[in-house]
Amino acid sequence: MIRDFLFFTSEALISIRRSGIIMIISVATITVSLAVFGIFLLISANISNLTNYFSSKLEIRVYLKDSTRPEEIDALKLRFEAMPAVRKVEFIDKATAWEEFKKNYPKIELNTLVADNPLPNAFRIILSDSAKITSIADHLKGFEAVEDVGDMGAIADRITAFSRYTRIAGIILVSLLTFATLLIIVNTIRLTVIARQDEITIMQLVGATVSFIRWPFIIEGLLIGIMGSILAIIFLIFAYSFFVLRFQENIPFFPLVYDHLTLNLIYLVILLVGTSLGVFGAYLSVSRTVKNNY
Amino acid sequence: MIRVKNIRKVYPNGFVALDGIDLHISRNEFVYLVGQSGAGKSTLLNMLYKAETPTSGDIYIDNISLGSLSPKQIPYLRRSIGVIFQDYKLLPRRTVYENVAFALRVMHFSRSRIRRQVTQVLELVGLQQKMHHYPSELSGGEQQRICIARAIVNNPPVLLADEPTGSLDPDTSWEIMQLLSKINARQTTVIVATHNKAIVDDIRKRVVAVENGRIIRDEQLGLYNP
Repeated sequence: MIRDFLFFTSEALISIRRSGIIMIISVATITVSLAVFGIFLLISANISNLTNYFSSKLEIRVYLKDSTRPEEIDALKLRFEAMPAVRKVEFIDKATAWEEFKKNYPKIELNTLVADNPLPNAFRIILSDSAKITSIADHLKGFEAVEDVGDMGAIADRITAFSRYTRIAGIILVSLLTFATLLIIVNTIRLTVIARQDEITIMQLVGATVSFIRWPFIIEGLLIGIMGSILAIIFLIFAYSFFVLRFQENIPFFPLVYDHLTLNLIYLVILLVGTSLGVFGAYLSVSRTVKNNY
Repeated sequence: MIRVKNIRKVYPNGFVALDGIDLHISRNEFVYLVGQSGAGKSTLLNMLYKAETPTSGDIYIDNISLGSLSPKQIPYLRRSIGVIFQDYKLLPRRTVYENVAFALRVMHFSRSRIRRQVTQVLELVGLQQKMHHYPSELSGGEQQRICIARAIVNNPPVLLADEPTGSLDPDTSWEIMQLLSKINARQTTVIVATHNKAIVDDIRKRVVAVENGRIIRDEQLGLYNP
């Protein structure tokens, strides 16, 4: 078993070494198609990050009647927190709000204009799903203690629509691109197999079993896939960090994706796609070639 | 050992390559299949190792029906039949040694056993000096000898040769045929398809003549022409 595995691997390596230009071309083809695929994954990750960023800035302000007692406020906070799609509820009492207001607008002589604090007690509610902002705001208006509700419904609707369309477009484009990448890689591997169709026939004529013929090709497909993926990933790492750097110089606060988790996930996907398609392509093309000779 | 029973082969284009072939070949026999190109010699040989299948009829080797073999069993049949191809069918990106060793590798022989048997057979065909060359670096006669070495390296009971001298000069042809006689003497059944009159008339063996897909003559120690 181990002897066979070592033999198949050495066969694959010999074949890669001896096939020269066709091997370079197929690795390059796979690298380029995976790089394009990766660029697209990065773009769509950034778009979804962007919409999430804006969604997370959306909030609802619930202004309470002055008559509301402290224990009622506590009860309300618990009820709001229990509502679906609510991520965070923060109470802002009127004194704090007033101080903040005065701090934000120091040029206005507020004390001379208004004698007393005119601001109400309020809740700031941050949602986990910005699409529900309007319906939740409407619901909140129904509470006895609620004086008024301020929401960013109009903006929220636009952002929601934007994110929905970009998500649909993203899914369509990524699946098209996945399909294209699949075809390119499988066909590239097929070319390397077809180039050696005669060899496969000869192997069959001297009594090689299908699996004996297939394994070296599968290992070869695996190695080509790994090489193509790694080159594509190296390219993407450099290109993306260069891009992020340039972008931050010009628009410093723009929310680009640079957490390692997301990026590593994308690179992992590329590696998996590249290697599995290499293996799959080899398996498919050898099987097809082999069948012709029995 | 080999029984061909009422074989008929019709190609999809309607051409009848073989029609009602019956043949019996005993163990350790040496048989020439003679006839013009297109007479059906190669088709018949190809059927013996299942590179082609008959339209009707069947072939038995050691009482095993080739018609009933599944695709999975074909490799094992082929390991018991060495084939010498007219166009050599060597793996271009492997050395002489690797080409011959391949026939043993498919049988999962150990490395040391492979080395021993390959070295031995390369000595027999006189190519031990060139075992690290690639086929393209060798002459036609040398390539044919690699092909022979590969066909006999695992001592198969049957050896088939399709026009083994087809593209060789007379002297080299003579050497190759001497080699085949030598192999036949080592308890191997040899079937040679050829239209080399000089050879057939010189090294006298059983002659089976094929014409238009039928056997028209079968005689011991025969000549190329009756």
